[in-house]
Amino acid sequence: MNKTLETEELDSTSRREFFKTTASVGTIAATSMLVPNTVLADDENIMHHVKWGTTLGHEVNKFPYGMPPLYEHNVVRRTSPLMSSAGDMHAAISMTPLADLSGIIVPNGLHFTRTHNGVAQVDPNKFRLMIHGLVEKPIVLTLDELKRYPSESRILFMECPSNSAAEWKGPQFGSLQMAKGMMSCAEWTGVRLKTILDELGLKPEAKWMLAEGSDGSEMSRTVPVEKVLDDAMIVWGQNGEALRNEQGYPVRLMLPGWEANLCVKWLKRLEFGDKPWYAKEETSKYTALTASGKAIQHFYANEVNSVITYPCPERDWTDLKKGDVVEIEGLAWTGHGTIKGVDISFDGGKNWVEAQLKGLVLPKAWTRFSYMHKYDGKPMLLQSRSYDDSDNVQPTVNQEKAVVGVEGVYHRNAIMTWKITDMGKVSNVQVRS
Amino acid sequence: MFKLDRKLTTIGMVLVAGVTFSVMTACAAESKDGAKESKKAAAETSNSATVGVYASKPGALDGGVTYPRENGIYTAYRYNTQSTKGVNPGRAATANEIKAWDLDALPDGSGLPEGEGSVELGDELYEAQCAVCHGEFGAGGSGYPQLSGGNMDKDENGVIITLKNQRVYGSTDAPKRTVGTYWPVATTLFTYIRDAMPYAHPKSLSNDETYAITAYILAQNEIEIDGEEMDDEYVLNKEKLAKVVLPNRDGFYPNIDGPNAIEDIRAFYADRAKNIGAGTRCMTDCKDPGGPDGKTPAAVMEIKYEMSDVTPPYAYDKTLPPKKKDENAHPGKEAYEANCVLCHKTDAMGAPAVGDKAAWDIVMKKGLDKVYHNTIHGINGMPAKGGTSLPDDKIKQMVDYMIEASK
Repeated sequence: MNKTLETEELDSTSRREFFKTTASVGTIAATSMLVPNTVLADDENIMHHVKWGTTLGHEVNKFPYGMPPLYEHNVVRRTSPLMSSAGDMHAAISMTPLADLSGIIVPNGLHFTRTHNGVAQVDPNKFRLMIHGLVEKPIVLTLDELKRYPSESRILFMECPSNSAAEWKGPQFGSLQMAKGMMSCAEWTGVRLKTILDELGLKPEAKWMLAEGSDGSEMSRTVPVEKVLDDAMIVWGQNGEALRNEQGYPVRLMLPGWEANLCVKWLKRLEFGDKPWYAKEETSKYTALTASGKAIQHFYANEVNSVITYPCPERDWTDLKKGDVVEIEGLAWTGHGTIKGVDISFDGGKNWVEAQLKGLVLPKAWTRFSYMHKYDGKPMLLQSRSYDDSDNVQPTVNQEKAVVGVEGVYHRNAIMTWKITDMGKVSNVQVRS
Repeated sequence: MFKLDRKLTTIGMVLVAGVTFSVMTACAAESKDGAKESKKAAAETSNSATVGVYASKPGALDGGVTYPRENGIYTAYRYNTQSTKGVNPGRAATANEIKAWDLDALPDGSGLPEGEGSVELGDELYEAQCAVCHGEFGAGGSGYPQLSGGNMDKDENGVIITLKNQRVYGSTDAPKRTVGTYWPVATTLFTYIRDAMPYAHPKSLSNDETYAITAYILAQNEIEIDGEEMDDEYVLNKEKLAKVVLPNRDGFYPNIDGPNAIEDIRAFYADRAKNIGAGTRCMTDCKDPGGPDGKTPAAVMEIKYEMSDVTPPYAYDKTLPPKKKDENAHPGKEAYEANCVLCHKTDAMGAPAVGDKAAWDIVMKKGLDKVYHNTIHGINGMPAKGGTSLPDDKIKQMVDYMIEASK
């Protein structure tokens, strides 16, 4: 952020001068944090041949599995000791760099990751899936056998219910990535559980399904059969390739819109029963303690939510000058259905305007929103507020706090606020009583 | 509008002074327009939610909508409408296979294995295998979950009082979520320890050892079983574990037990505004309806203690990463790949292919000096220096590499 610091020190006049001289290389100014203070009018990148135009590129198959450009090496998942136990990174979380993404698909290497006993590496030849309990025909499947079921693909977001958990008592992280990056969105391919159960014969007394992982934590959760028969899937494909180890290779459970913890990774066993199991991750954890002293259990869907991804602390407005027209962009999502719209406030929530949705608008998927803004150089408190087709409107911090308190840890969906200074710097704040 | 005063920021937790917040204070009471707006918005929502391919139905268990699969379309997705009947991969699970994997236990104790273990043995095992992370006596302290030691006193409604703690940046105690104060069910403790602990060696404990450690942790939480205190000699088994009623057994909602469970859950999520918090779609002159008295001005809270310790550290520049030097790489390799590889990778161009031992044996019969000379001055179809303008010593390095790689 060197450049931010430098421009901070410039007075507004020299700042205007700065942008006048660099206007001809606007794309560079917009994408690089390292613009030299003076760029000559006759840009050497134009006036001379560039290196990559005068040398041989590398061979077509130098990387049999393609890699991102080396220049993008800072676009990575990040983690923090706060996202772990005692700094141990086996039961920890790494966050998606939301500010660097475009569209609604997260590349597999950047999908956020949460593990409870490290990232398991399952041998696909030894993988077995058992489905039993209250079914007429209990079965075991190899991976190849599982994949013989007819498949469907859906674009779905995955969000850890503790996304923004650090922010209940106040803002703590100075970046979009760490404040909201415990989520991703991908195209997932697999079989609907209903397709399998139609064949196995689910007994009428089956009310619940236990999903169990095969990793060291034997992560297990209880799922109501109603969800299983609606849109639950067992998935093996992630954006066209096999799931990454971090996402549960070779297969994970997918419960569209519901907390990612329920979408058990490294799936091993599904058992149908008539009572809930009270697994560890649905009792001691993943229950939201409210101010009443009682806790919400079986907290399923990730609520209607949104965040502005540009500007944000990582990609601020220090390179804008007054009068520039700029696109405000963000992501909205809801586990309750489909995003209907997003409102934007420049004054911390007093007045709102409607943003526009763009791109694919799919149920239980990230949805991009956009608003064209004429930058006037004044400070602002920028917020977004989404609403969905299930009559949910994203709450303010105070509205959520009034019902849940500040110790809930999970399912935080309060409106976020970026404070933007007159220099265009962006920081994470909260509007609250 | 408002003005941000940078000098006054972030000293306190709440930053009323940081903003002259006319915008927020102006809406101390819910504006009528705002209320109307949000009702209108809600009505719009309901209407359009039933239109088109997204035709949604309210009433999913989680309070959301369900989208029917009709006419080969599920929301925006098409799917194959042909019958899947007869797709029947896999084979029947054997009784032994089910027995091997079906190890879970329900709160009523069904599914628990035979076996037993004493508090005393549990103490030994705990000290040896658990205390390093969970602290002496389960008291926590090293960053891993605390297992015992919370205050279990209840209020007149049967709620554990300290679970109502609401922290304001360290000025009050956190609610302690230990086995004794928070966990609803003791069978979870047994299965979790057996399946997932010790952290680095999960599934290494026998059933007897697991009963012992479970007994020790319950004893540290002063749990009584059938009115009996758990002293050192107390031996836990499946019958006794099934009888444990943890203090916070009723501390969770919605109800998920019994014949009404599903309807109770549905009712809970149907009223999300009341139960989990909801916003309103006010568009102009909105007050923040969550303020404690509707009059307190909303304020801007800035980061007080920034968690900037992230890995890898924040960096956003688009520069090349520091080059990893391959210590073993031949000094001529890089230049070869930039200049010679086109013709010398295969013999298709008539040049000796790198890696082709026989071809290079023939070349080397001329002697190294001659090979250098030919390279620098050109031979057959190859121009002088292979068409480059590199210095002679660099050319020689490349030749050395090609010879080396063809041995």
